[in-house]
Amino acid sequence: MDKDRKEGIRGMANPGRYGIERVAYWLMRITGLGLLFYFIGHIYETSSLLDGKAAWNSMLELTQTTEGHIFLTLVIGMCVFHTGNGIRVMIAQSGFGLGKPRRPDYPYTPSSLNMKNKLCIYVTIGLAALAMMYGLGVMYDV
Amino acid sequence: MSSIMRESHIMKIHYLTALVAVGFVIIHIMIRFTHGSFANSLEFESVIANYKSIPYAVVLEAMLILISVHGFNGLRIILLELKQGNAYERAVTYGCLAAMIALIAYGSRTIIMATMGMVEA
Repeated sequence: MDKDRKEGIRGMANPGRYGIERVAYWLMRITGLGLLFYFIGHIYETSSLLDGKAAWNSMLELTQTTEGHIFLTLVIGMCVFHTGNGIRVMIAQSGFGLGKPRRPDYPYTPSSLNMKNKLCIYVTIGLAALAMMYGLGVMYDV
Repeated sequence: MSSIMRESHIMKIHYLTALVAVGFVIIHIMIRFTHGSFANSLEFESVIANYKSIPYAVVLEAMLILISVHGFNGLRIILLELKQGNAYERAVTYGCLAAMIALIAYGSRTIIMATMGMVEA
């Protein structure tokens, strides 16, 4: 117990200890922050529109590059994962798909961390990957 | 926000803004298809034409507000998970609120000016 407590934020952050749920927890926060930074950048990018066509085109020269397209693909993936996992979290916090309460017996596996939730996380990651592929196709007119 | 509103109410707003924003983001992406290819949809004239449509400008403004509220409340939640304390929580809450208002004001300026045609030639 003491050892656990000494780990502090590092222990809480360890994605290897609690399985895919902890990975989803971290991905949710990382994608959320990524999308917020993208959103701020997107607002700034579109504001160049007010300075006329030349300013807009020079902004596009910065963003419509291979690196820009890779970044946009990541944004698509982050957006789909954040949405899918967010809906899963909302449903779980409303009390659905958590399993029935039962006596805590060894090995104390919580019924809330069940296959339904795990499957949802894997499906969400799969959907994010598909959306990224589709996005790349659209950006490169494939 | 925690001193202004109950945390349970804030979470309801957080979830509601997310669900409504998803609908608006789908509209925002679908509008792209009306301009043909991805490159065409980014042309200056195409983008300006989008802003000239009042219903679409309303969608953009709603999206700006919803995503800003959701995004900065999300940032606040992440920061409050890392550290607690009265002064820290207050600083994070009001800092996020100020950033949210600043972003909404800056984005609204673009939407209003582009919709009204106040764009440099």
